[in-house]
Amino acid sequence: MSKKPVKGEYIETDTGNKVSRRSQIIGTTNIILGGKTVIQAEVIIRGDLLRTYPSSSSEGKGNPVAVAIGRYCFFSRGCELRPPGKMYKGYLLFLLPSSSPSYLQHELMVFGSTFSHYPLKIADHVLIGPGTIVEAALIGSHVSIGAGCVIGKFAIIKDYARVLDGTVVPPNMVIPSFSVVGGRPGRVVGEVSEGEVDGFDLREVYRGVGN
Amino acid sequence: MSTFTPYTYFQCPCTDSSPPVRNIGSDSPTSIHSSSSEDEKAFDPRAPRANYSLYPLEHLLYCEDCHQIRCPRCVLDEIVTYYCPNCLFEVPSSTVKSEGTRCTRSCFQCPICIAPLSVSSLEAPPEGLGAEHASQGGPYVLNCPHCSWSSKEIGIQFDKPNGIFTQLSKIKNGGDPVITARERRKDREERSRDSAPGPVTDEDGVQDETVVKLDPNEVLDAESQFSNLKAFYQAQLAEASPANALGFSGGDYGYGSPGALSRIMGLYTGGTYADKKSKAKKGTMREAQNAFEGLKIVAPNSEDALIAKLQNEGWDATSSSLQRDEQSTHTPFISDLRPIAYLLRTKRSKRCKTCRHILSKPEAKIQTTRFRIRLVALNYIPSISIKPLQPLLSTQLQAPLVPMKPTQFLLTFKNPLFESVKVNIATPAQTPGRFASKITILCPQFEVGANTDAWEEALRDGSKGVEREKRRTKAEASEGQLQAEAGKVWERGRNWVSVVVEVIPASLKPSPDFLKTEAQRKLAEEGGEDDRVREDEDVVEIPVFVRVEWEADTGGEDGGLGKEKEGREKRELAYWCVLGVGRIG
Repeated sequence: MSKKPVKGEYIETDTGNKVSRRSQIIGTTNIILGGKTVIQAEVIIRGDLLRTYPSSSSEGKGNPVAVAIGRYCFFSRGCELRPPGKMYKGYLLFLLPSSSPSYLQHELMVFGSTFSHYPLKIADHVLIGPGTIVEAALIGSHVSIGAGCVIGKFAIIKDYARVLDGTVVPPNMVIPSFSVVGGRPGRVVGEVSEGEVDGFDLREVYRGVGN
Repeated sequence: MSTFTPYTYFQCPCTDSSPPVRNIGSDSPTSIHSSSSEDEKAFDPRAPRANYSLYPLEHLLYCEDCHQIRCPRCVLDEIVTYYCPNCLFEVPSSTVKSEGTRCTRSCFQCPICIAPLSVSSLEAPPEGLGAEHASQGGPYVLNCPHCSWSSKEIGIQFDKPNGIFTQLSKIKNGGDPVITARERRKDREERSRDSAPGPVTDEDGVQDETVVKLDPNEVLDAESQFSNLKAFYQAQLAEASPANALGFSGGDYGYGSPGALSRIMGLYTGGTYADKKSKAKKGTMREAQNAFEGLKIVAPNSEDALIAKLQNEGWDATSSSLQRDEQSTHTPFISDLRPIAYLLRTKRSKRCKTCRHILSKPEAKIQTTRFRIRLVALNYIPSISIKPLQPLLSTQLQAPLVPMKPTQFLLTFKNPLFESVKVNIATPAQTPGRFASKITILCPQFEVGANTDAWEEALRDGSKGVEREKRRTKAEASEGQLQAEAGKVWERGRNWVSVVVEVIPASLKPSPDFLKTEAQRKLAEEGGEDDRVREDEDVVEIPVFVRVEWEADTGGEDGGLGKEKEGREKRELAYWCVLGVGRIG
C-alpha cells in the first residue's frame, strides 16, 4: 500500500519502531511507543500537550505520559495525534499548598476553572489513515481508522472497530466493539463480521515497511 | 473512475433454491439466448438479484455439519446480550422487556445531528461571588458537542446530572411536567367518580358531563388520550364479556379465555344460551363520548397554530424526515424534537438454519471481544486474490483496462485447510452483460498445498520473500517475456497457487447493428435500450465457478476406534464467485 520509501527514510528503534525522519514528534519524553510501530512521514504526535490538571491517582513518579501507543500500530502519512483537552470547573483544592489557610482553599475551589489535556491511549494493531486527526481518549486494539477522518475529543473507540474514510467522529462518542462507523457526524453504519476479525492484524503491514 | 480495487465476491449456495437468477435480468445476454442449455446454470453477477447472494469471503460462515457455506441470509441470529452502545452497560433481557430497547440511564443522541449528547451544568457562577458555590451543581442541560444544540432550546433542564432518562420522561418540551401513567389513572378514577351520576344514557349524557366539570373537548396529549381510550375500551370489554365475571382481566382477546370459548361454542350450537347472552349485552357496547373516554374531536381550526408557526418561522423551523424518523411521536418542528435515548445493541450468536448448529458465538461479556465458537468460511475455503500480471508502475496501478487489448491477471488461491485441495475453476467464455468481455483461464485445474501451522509460517517468514523472488526470476528466465503458458500454474507456494486469466475487455461502444444477433436487435427495439454506459457497466466482472475437492478426517465422532482408513473422506465444495478485475477505460 505504502510506497517504497527512499533509503534511510525510517529510523528503527531498539524495540523495532520504524519512525520516519520526516515525522514531527514533539515532547518525546512524554510518549510511550510499545514497539514495532510505524510512524510515516509528516505524522505529528503532540507529546507536549501534557496533563496540567493533577490527577489523584499515583502517577507522580517517572515521566508524565501524554501519548501511549501499543505494539504494531501504523500511523499513515500526515496524520496527527494530539491528547484531548477540556475546561474543568471547580474542585481546585489541590492547587494550594497544604500550608495555605482553609478559607483560601475554599475560594479557589469555587472559582477554579482550568484547561487541561488528558492522555491519549492507543492499544495494539491500530491503523490510522493518512491525514486523520485523532483527539480520542482511548483507541482499543485492532482498530482501523480510514483516511481524512477527525476523531473528536475524548472519543472512545473499542476493539475491532472500523472508522470509514472521511468520518467525523463527534466528541465524547463511544464506539462499541465490532462497529463500522461512517458519516458526518459519525454513526454506526454496520457491524464487523466474524470473518473480518483476522484482517485487523498489522504484523504483515509492519514487515512490509522498510528502508 | 479514479480508483478501482479488484474484488472477489462469493455466492452463497443457499440462493440455488430460488428461481434461476438469469431469467430476471432483462439486459443480460444469458436471458437473450436462454435456449442454449450448455451454460444453463451460468451465474450472472449483473442480475438484479445477484446482489443479494454475493458476499465477500469475510462475511461468510461455514457449517461443519452441513459442509456448506453459510451467508447472513441462511443463519439464525440469537441474542446473547443487550447493551447500551454508549455507556456499554449490559441490560438484562427482563429489563428490555419491561423498559423497552432504549438505554434508561443518561445516554442520549442529539435530535438534530445524532451525535452523543453530554450533560453539562448551566452557567457557572459569575466571577467574584463566593456565595454562588451552591449553584455549582445547578440546573443541567444536554449539550451536543458536534452541532452545539442544547436541550435549553426546547426548554428542558435537569436537576441532577444522572438518571436523565427518568428526568426527561417527566418533562415536556418547554419544561411542563408530563402527567405520569399513574397520575393519569388516578385522575381518570377521580373523574369517573365525579361523573358517575349521569353519563351513560344517550345524547344528553354529553351535556351532563360538561356540567360535571368535564370538558369533552379537552385537549390531551397523545399518551393521555391513548391511555384514556384504552381504559375506556377495557372497561367496555369487561362489561360486555362474560369472561370477566370469572375473574379474567378484560381487554384480552385471548383465544383460551372462557369468553372466547363460549362464543365459539355459541357459533357451533347455533344460538344457545351464550349467544342469547351476548345479544343481550350488545347494547351496552358503545363508542367513546368525551375526552375523558379518549374521544378527540378534531376541530377545523386545530392546525391553525401549526400553520401560523410555519408561516412565521419558515422552513428552517421544520424538522427533516431523518430527524422525524428518530422520534417516537409526530414532530413537525425542530422545537418538538426530543433527545433520542440510545437504542440498545446486541451481541448475537449465529446458528445454521438447516442443522441448527452454532456457527458463531461471542462471549457474553460486553468488554470481551473473543468468540467461543467462530466457524468462518475464511478458514475453510480458498481465498482468491487478483492482481495484474504485468508488473505495473505504481502510477499505473489504477490504469483502466484498454478495450480489445488482452490483459492478463493473476488469480492467487490460498488454501486455509491443513489438507491439500484440488481446485477446478470454470468461467463462461464471455462475461454476461451488454458488453461481453472474453475470458480465458489458462490453467483451470490445479492442486493447492496444505496450510501449516502459524508457527511454522512465522519461522519461515524471513526467507519467504527471497524464495518468492527467486521463483519469479526463474519463471521470467525460462519463459522470456512474461508469457503465460496454457495449462500450467504460473507460480506456486506452500499453500497457494497463482494461475493466469486472460481478459479481452469489450469495447464500450455498442456493437454496430449488423453484428447484433436477432434477439439483441429485438430486445433493443422493445426495451428502447440506449447506448449509454450505465452505472458500473464498465466494470469487468467475471463469474467463476470454483470446485474444491479434498480429503478430510471425518472428525473424532467415532471416538478414534482405530478406523484410520474410514477416517478419511472425500469432501467437495462448489460455488460461484465473481471477480471484479477492473474498469474498461
